[in-house]
Amino acid sequence: MLAPALLLWPLVRVFLFSLQEYGLRQIVSGESNYIGFDNYAEIFSEPMLWQIVLPNTIGFAIVAVGGTVVFGTLVALLLASLNRMWRAIVSSCIMVAWAMPAVTGTYVWIWLFDANTGLVNTLLLGAGILDEPHNWFTDRWSFYAIVVLNIIHHGFPFVAVTVLAGLLGVSKEMIEAATVDGAGAIRRFFQIIFPTLKPVFAVVVILSTIWDFKVFAQIYLMPGGSGSNRSVLNLGVWSYVESFAQNRYGFGSAIAVLLTVMLLVVSVVYVRTLFKEEK
Amino acid sequence: MRKFRTSLAIAAVTALGLTACGSGGSGDDGGNGGSGGNGKSGEGETLSVWIMEGTNPNADAFFKKAGQKFKEKTGAKLDVQFVQWGEAHDRFVTSIAGGTTPDVAETGTTWTAEFAQAGALAPLDEQVKAAGIKEDLVDGLVEAGTVDGSLYGMPWYAGVRSVIYRTDVFKELNLDEPQSWDELLKTAQTIKQEKPDLIPWAVPGGSQYAAYPFIWGTGGKLATQQDGKWVSGLTSPEARQGIEFYTDLALEHGLSSAAATTWDATDVLDNFAKGKLPMAILGSWAAPTLIEKNPDLEGKLGAFPIPGPDGGYSPSFLGGSHLSVFNSADNPELAWEFVKMLTTTDLAAQWAEETNYFPGTESLLEKSINSDDPMVKPFATQMVEAGTTVPVTPKFGAVQGKKTIPAMLQSILAGDKTVKQATSDAAAEIEEILNSK
Repeated sequence: MLAPALLLWPLVRVFLFSLQEYGLRQIVSGESNYIGFDNYAEIFSEPMLWQIVLPNTIGFAIVAVGGTVVFGTLVALLLASLNRMWRAIVSSCIMVAWAMPAVTGTYVWIWLFDANTGLVNTLLLGAGILDEPHNWFTDRWSFYAIVVLNIIHHGFPFVAVTVLAGLLGVSKEMIEAATVDGAGAIRRFFQIIFPTLKPVFAVVVILSTIWDFKVFAQIYLMPGGSGSNRSVLNLGVWSYVESFAQNRYGFGSAIAVLLTVMLLVVSVVYVRTLFKEEK
Repeated sequence: MRKFRTSLAIAAVTALGLTACGSGGSGDDGGNGGSGGNGKSGEGETLSVWIMEGTNPNADAFFKKAGQKFKEKTGAKLDVQFVQWGEAHDRFVTSIAGGTTPDVAETGTTWTAEFAQAGALAPLDEQVKAAGIKEDLVDGLVEAGTVDGSLYGMPWYAGVRSVIYRTDVFKELNLDEPQSWDELLKTAQTIKQEKPDLIPWAVPGGSQYAAYPFIWGTGGKLATQQDGKWVSGLTSPEARQGIEFYTDLALEHGLSSAAATTWDATDVLDNFAKGKLPMAILGSWAAPTLIEKNPDLEGKLGAFPIPGPDGGYSPSFLGGSHLSVFNSADNPELAWEFVKMLTTTDLAAQWAEETNYFPGTESLLEKSINSDDPMVKPFATQMVEAGTTVPVTPKFGAVQGKKTIPAMLQSILAGDKTVKQATSDAAAEIEEILNSK
């Protein structure tokens, strides 16, 4: 009884806040100030949401989840083919990428792409590809390309380790039998390994989707990412700038509720497709 | 704030010494404490105080001393907590929500009105009046701390940005401190020609305070109140002319760098410390940090007030901190006693000296004004002659939160919008926020 209440009460509170015009004054006085669904109406009537924020959030999540899962799986396959010692060495190396705090990782990428002293610009200038230093952070596409690199780099170890655990459980006999029957590596992966590992992939994809939908620090900390470059706003940063930076907690809660609903829908769809096929 | 009222200042200081703290509670030494009898009202109590971290490198020693003095005077213990600027706003809000606010806190001048309007702060008018120091407080800080005619923030210290420059570069190239925008441009162009490794005048897209002088210099306004409604002046020809001049330093004259488009104030400081910038709009408090980051800069720093378009000065943002008493304070008299001690005694002068900021009272400020220190005088001139504040409304914090001005600058610098388009968009956003209920 207690556990669901502890989990659900904050959610209920957030929902109740989202129906209010809730600012600093309400926090001080403790009064409620219900305005119905005005906050939601305001969110949906905001052109910024449709033109910038949603395309950025969803587009980024698709690319980042795809990239993380594919790269992570490739690394897992590599790990599975290594002997015990090398597997230990390589997996400890990739753990370092995972263990790096998001903030630190983000600053490394910012530093690499810095327009004055960054390695990338220095190399491109040296090779004659660029004539003058280029600021990679002002353009929407190059900005998100850097964020995708950052997220994949930070997220692939989790996928690799999880998928590796699954790979080690795939029965050796089946793979050997398939090899004898003349199936190549790609065919073996898609016909034997992937179907066996479907639950593992479902978990990995759902978790990555949730993480990548609500990515905040990796964008907020990038030059221009904290709200001054409007073309790179995603749902997380937009809600922060629109609500918390302006003490509009009701509005912020409404965005949080929307994000939760979106993620719930995504998760439910994943889980249902998974169980349907198992029947 | 233009004129210093020496006589009033003296009167105020005298009054301070004589006042017996009419609002009750304890008083100065020798005062006949209203309630305490022996003048020590805070025996056995503890006053909790939040102070921003990083303003004063000697903060620990300073507050140890302040704590001793406070104990001597009131018998109460002082409990000082240091809070990072970056997280302070959130901490204030959560502590207000959770009822865990300190008794006294340092509040940035742009926050005081916001917290006051929300009902979290206690008005200080009576205490200030009783102490007879009303006339001595620096006007710009009083204005920023006043909501609906009541003072909620006691001026503590103030700071203003001017131009810090490299005297060694100027000497080598035989350059003088520019007196007008035209001279500023020519100076930067000379540096570009002679010292191609330097970024002659960085135009940081993320720094609002570096841009304001160019909006205000031509007489442009961020927003003014007309018939109870806020109207942004960013679309005026004056403001557009100033913004155009400022952004053209980068776009037309190539005096900035591609990286600067996304720089904020910290990046400017870092790059100046690395020796890449010969000039930059920085606060007086930046000088010690620059030398700490790069000791080679010692003796190579100078400063001049930001020039006006045709001579004179361009106004610069007068910022700083208040000391505010929270409504939740158990013993408001004790809280005020601490505020008064920190803002009017020699502790105020010591704080200003250690931080390279200016004190919040005119009588103390006068000493800085008359200082011959080349790193103090230009800032003092800027503050007295051309220090101004952003629109005084609790809502302006929301404009800053939304980064309206940086967004405007970056879109111009990145070539996404023209000056006309960008200023129109920014003006619409400012008006929408300031006029929302």
